[in-house]
Amino acid sequence: MGTLHFAEYIDANLDTERWSCHECGQDLGDLRGNYKRGLLVAERDPREIHEPVLEGEYTFAPKSDWIRIIEFYCPRCGRQVETQYLPPGHPLTQDTELDVDAVKQRIAAGVVRINDDGKLEAAR
Amino acid sequence: MSYPTKEEKLAALKVTEPSEYELGCVDLVKPGDYEIGVQRTNDMVDEGYEVFMRSSRSSMGVAGDSIVAIFNARGDLVNASAGTYLHAIIPPIVIKFILKRYSENPGINDGDVWYTNDALYGGIHNPDQCAIMPVFFDGDLVAWTAALSHTTETGAIEPGGMPLTATSRFEEGMNLPPMRVGQNFRINSDILEMFAAFGIRATDNVTVDMRARATTCDRVRVRLLEMFEREGKEFAIGLLRKMLIEAEEGARKRVSHWCDGVYRNVTFSDAAGLQPGLIRNCVMTMTKKGDHLAFDFTGTSPENPSSYNAHPQAVVGHMANYIYEYVFHDLPVSSATFQAVDFIFPENSMLSPDARAATSNSVMACTGVMSSVANCISRARFASDEWTQVAASQGNGGNAIVIAGISQWGANFADMIAYPINTEGQGARATSDGMDAYGFPWCGFGRAPDVESMENEFPLLLPFSSHWKDSGGAGKHRGGVGTAQLWVTHNVPMLFQMAIADNSSIQTPQPLFGGYSQPTVPGIVLDGVDVKELMAKAKAGAGSISFEGLLSGDFGGRVVTSQYGSQIHPVLDGQTVIVGLSTGGTGYGDPLDRDPAAVEVDVRKNLVSIGQAHSLYGVVVDPTSGRVDDGATTARRADLVEQRLARGVPYDEFEATWSTRRPDESIMQWFGSWPEGNVVNPVMRP
Repeated sequence: MGTLHFAEYIDANLDTERWSCHECGQDLGDLRGNYKRGLLVAERDPREIHEPVLEGEYTFAPKSDWIRIIEFYCPRCGRQVETQYLPPGHPLTQDTELDVDAVKQRIAAGVVRINDDGKLEAAR
Repeated sequence: MSYPTKEEKLAALKVTEPSEYELGCVDLVKPGDYEIGVQRTNDMVDEGYEVFMRSSRSSMGVAGDSIVAIFNARGDLVNASAGTYLHAIIPPIVIKFILKRYSENPGINDGDVWYTNDALYGGIHNPDQCAIMPVFFDGDLVAWTAALSHTTETGAIEPGGMPLTATSRFEEGMNLPPMRVGQNFRINSDILEMFAAFGIRATDNVTVDMRARATTCDRVRVRLLEMFEREGKEFAIGLLRKMLIEAEEGARKRVSHWCDGVYRNVTFSDAAGLQPGLIRNCVMTMTKKGDHLAFDFTGTSPENPSSYNAHPQAVVGHMANYIYEYVFHDLPVSSATFQAVDFIFPENSMLSPDARAATSNSVMACTGVMSSVANCISRARFASDEWTQVAASQGNGGNAIVIAGISQWGANFADMIAYPINTEGQGARATSDGMDAYGFPWCGFGRAPDVESMENEFPLLLPFSSHWKDSGGAGKHRGGVGTAQLWVTHNVPMLFQMAIADNSSIQTPQPLFGGYSQPTVPGIVLDGVDVKELMAKAKAGAGSISFEGLLSGDFGGRVVTSQYGSQIHPVLDGQTVIVGLSTGGTGYGDPLDRDPAAVEVDVRKNLVSIGQAHSLYGVVVDPTSGRVDDGATTARRADLVEQRLARGVPYDEFEATWSTRRPDESIMQWFGSWPEGNVVNPVMRP
């Protein structure tokens, strides 16, 4: 059926029903699951990214006890696939649940097709 | 009380069923004639938009924070020119309310001018005011016209129309349900006097803006009637209905290309008015199936006792900002594009509060909604042939500086300075950076007034306005940078100032595909320095006045920081009102994928510091030559990737530790239950 270039660094293979890294091909798990589970995860102090410019409570940097930056990396090539700004301990967001059956059904029905760039387009 | 329910307001956004007569008229509109007819409606609303800006008095009206629109006889939005797309959501609700409640008493007549600004009845917040005129042809109601804009004074407990200390709607000044304010093509003098009384801090702004709305409605009404005369009644009615049919088909076709699935985004803010606290200001779950979209806001924090709440249709309005600008940009601004979109709002959340709630800062309450809709739709859209339209969220700072007092011309004023909010950076795009200082996320086609115009209008001096270095979110494609400005009291003994802003402790927007957000915004004042004396020295050759110089202490005095939002307070002649900070946009993609040559250009243009080039982009720039060191850059980037692989842990392992933590209780008063966000302490509003 083909492979979708689903996100900047994520491919979705509709035949094998697997997520993979668009850059290096690393397998990232079941297409019906959360691709983030196939990535490495790290917590960053926001001041490492947004360096304080001023002294005091308000510095241009987020307060590190209010928010943390969660980074998701491809375990093979190290691409930073996603980032999220979350309060400490806040549930990680599953940003995508692909409706595999619906996409396949619409391709099979000839409503849409996957073009050479891995993108869905009208089939007619 | 008879204000419309949430369900009635959301239902009013849907297009009415066409009558047999209308469908017969549609058949009269042939290809070729249809396209010409559409363009004629474009010309009408574009002309109206120009008339509106030239007739308005308050800063937002002059900047173009407005919309001019045409509706069919049933109140469906057919086409508009904007400005600010969020206004598009209001009038269909209001017109359908007028038709339902007022057709018999007091009746709807040729020459009526109707008006409202009440969010309970379908508005965004009460500074956003709406004039509506029915269009009669041969004695029949055949259409409506509307003009909406933001007037920065409503007679609330604080100047500027968006009071920070309001705890209920009863402290927000003028709130008018839909009512007739003019008859026989004239505004009633008693009504005008009422506006003047509510707007006593800035009478000209309030009354002139009100007249401008009515003037604009009438101009478009006249142009519509010219089309009815020229092309015939049936053609014109058929054209308006056919535009709705075509817009719905276009919207459904576009959505149908996207990947089916469920998409989520979660955002946070750091204050309710001036009260710091962690708020989950949007949990958006978007379900895309075929050509249909559903948005569920379950999990968003409860309503709070500040003015940072929004009624549901105001939330839809904030989604319209993005949807009309990025998704349906080539379709008419029309009710029909929302025909296949449904919403779920949990009761008593900050996005569906009680009728008594203060909502005058709904625009601040909805910053997370604006970020989330960009993120969810971008994710669904990237795997389609429209992927080049994908963009990371705007910064959505909306840091608003309100000033009030008596001007150098002896006139009362209470206004919001339009320049800072109209110079934010754009979110990065799938194929390019966000534009630097592109505009106002709430008003994609607004314009920042000239500095000289503002200095002439208000008792202000603007010693510098420059791009704000490092304010764009880092990424493969960089978020556009915002601006920094220094505002100083000038030509009067004093003025009053307050600032409406959050994002001093944390940023609201989430970036996209591995980028970063923009920095937070501190409130900065230069204390103990007469800036005008400083300028005199600079003019005499003792250096120049710049943002970086101010931050580094080059000007003497004391750099005082606080949260950006501030209570109303006086500022004396020559003193710093505030350092205005217009946020940058968020970043797109891994910063290590950014072309080093682009980083070199950024550094040369003073948009990115050498330090950030090294730390986030892994690009080593020689401080002397300003050129990229290719070898050192390759090594630096390899080292950063190694660091990632060393610190990253598998998802389950990370979650096991992470999920045991929670923020300190001292900042959780507005959040709701942890982590569900359910109501814990109901808000009591006497």
